[in-house]
Amino acid sequence: MRRAHPFTSGAIALALIVLALLVPAPRGTVTLYLLICLGAWFAGAGRAVWLGLLVMAPLWLLLLVMHGVLGEAPRFALPWGGSLSVSGSAWALAQGSRLGAIVTASLTFATVFDPHRFLQAAVERRWPWSATFLLVATLDAAERFGDQARRLREAQRTRGLRVRGSLRLRARAIPALVFPLLLASLTEADDRALALESRGLTHHGVRTAIDPPADTALDRVVRWSLLALVVGVVIWRAVS
Amino acid sequence: MSPRLFALVPAAVAINLVVGRVANELALPVYLDTLGTMLVAVLTGLPGGALVGTVSQLFAGMLSGYQWLPFVVIQWLIALLAAVAANRGGFATPLRSAGWGVACGILCGLISAVISFALFRGVTAGGVTAIGTLLRGLGLPLSTAVTAASLVTDILDKTVAFVVVGGLLRALPKRILGRFPVASRAVGR
Repeated sequence: MRRAHPFTSGAIALALIVLALLVPAPRGTVTLYLLICLGAWFAGAGRAVWLGLLVMAPLWLLLLVMHGVLGEAPRFALPWGGSLSVSGSAWALAQGSRLGAIVTASLTFATVFDPHRFLQAAVERRWPWSATFLLVATLDAAERFGDQARRLREAQRTRGLRVRGSLRLRARAIPALVFPLLLASLTEADDRALALESRGLTHHGVRTAIDPPADTALDRVVRWSLLALVVGVVIWRAVS
Repeated sequence: MSPRLFALVPAAVAINLVVGRVANELALPVYLDTLGTMLVAVLTGLPGGALVGTVSQLFAGMLSGYQWLPFVVIQWLIALLAAVAANRGGFATPLRSAGWGVACGILCGLISAVISFALFRGVTAGGVTAIGTLLRGLGLPLSTAVTAASLVTDILDKTVAFVVVGGLLRALPKRILGRFPVASRAVGR
């Protein structure tokens, strides 16, 4: 999946998310979720499956409590005691598997996404440069500001800032940790704006991709097949 | 789009993502994941803020799933209210910032309750759903529990966020603030 054209991995993720919303629950959504987990595992994105489980675990628990335990009657008895709502449990299973499928598909896409290859592919296809730039620059900024936040936290802690303890103590840490980040975003904006302008960011012209990823026949077949599959499922759900 | 906005938008989206993580690490009952949206809306106006909100929601989807995309409406609403507050000097004092924050929290809480109830039957992010579950356990109907939980968390979150953005704007040197005419009006200079 990492070797596929960037648009192909995006198309797979998008199609899986749409399918998760379309297929009948819970049978369809549970099957789709398991297939996505297997697919991600075999595609070398097993980390996305684990991350998906971490993201979904609290949601599954809350779904079970909110709709299964606290749901409306009629209820069914559990073998070890207690009871669950019939309709609430069905909803919890349907929604839990649907969200699991969407989360795992999204995280798998994030795991295999390569900003450089995407940028080259978008330039080659003559996508709007501003949108492409925003995507790649944001990924870069998120990493940079993440590092800066970590350094700030350590620096402020050596100056005596307390990030544990009562709610009041923790709330008082916000300005010390957040203000420098906000200030940095403003002060660097001007420098970057100048650099972007001098590099022709606002210039309207055709850009050349230096190293565009190969868009093979297999990539195109996969993308068109996914489109056909989604359209087919839409028609099936509309008539059934 | 101006080069300055081009440079500001990625930084503001990163602020949304990173500060949200900082608030989470501090185990605070607020999200603070809209500070970048508010800041750009105050500095450059509604379109910039709405753009930051949209891109932030798309990136958050990459990290936690695209099921929360419908909540992009909340980001747009925050950008709108921050821009209106800026035009009316809503960040001139901490009290005024807090007042606009409460108003924003009420509106955002009501709309996110509708989205949460209609699409997710009340089970969305951890904190707000935990409060909703608690209220449901106390015997409140699902719709009431979801609305109350959304209102409580959003009012707190948006009030803190408006106060933080207001504090930053008032602390900015005139040299930086002068580059953004709306921001000068926002703090009454």
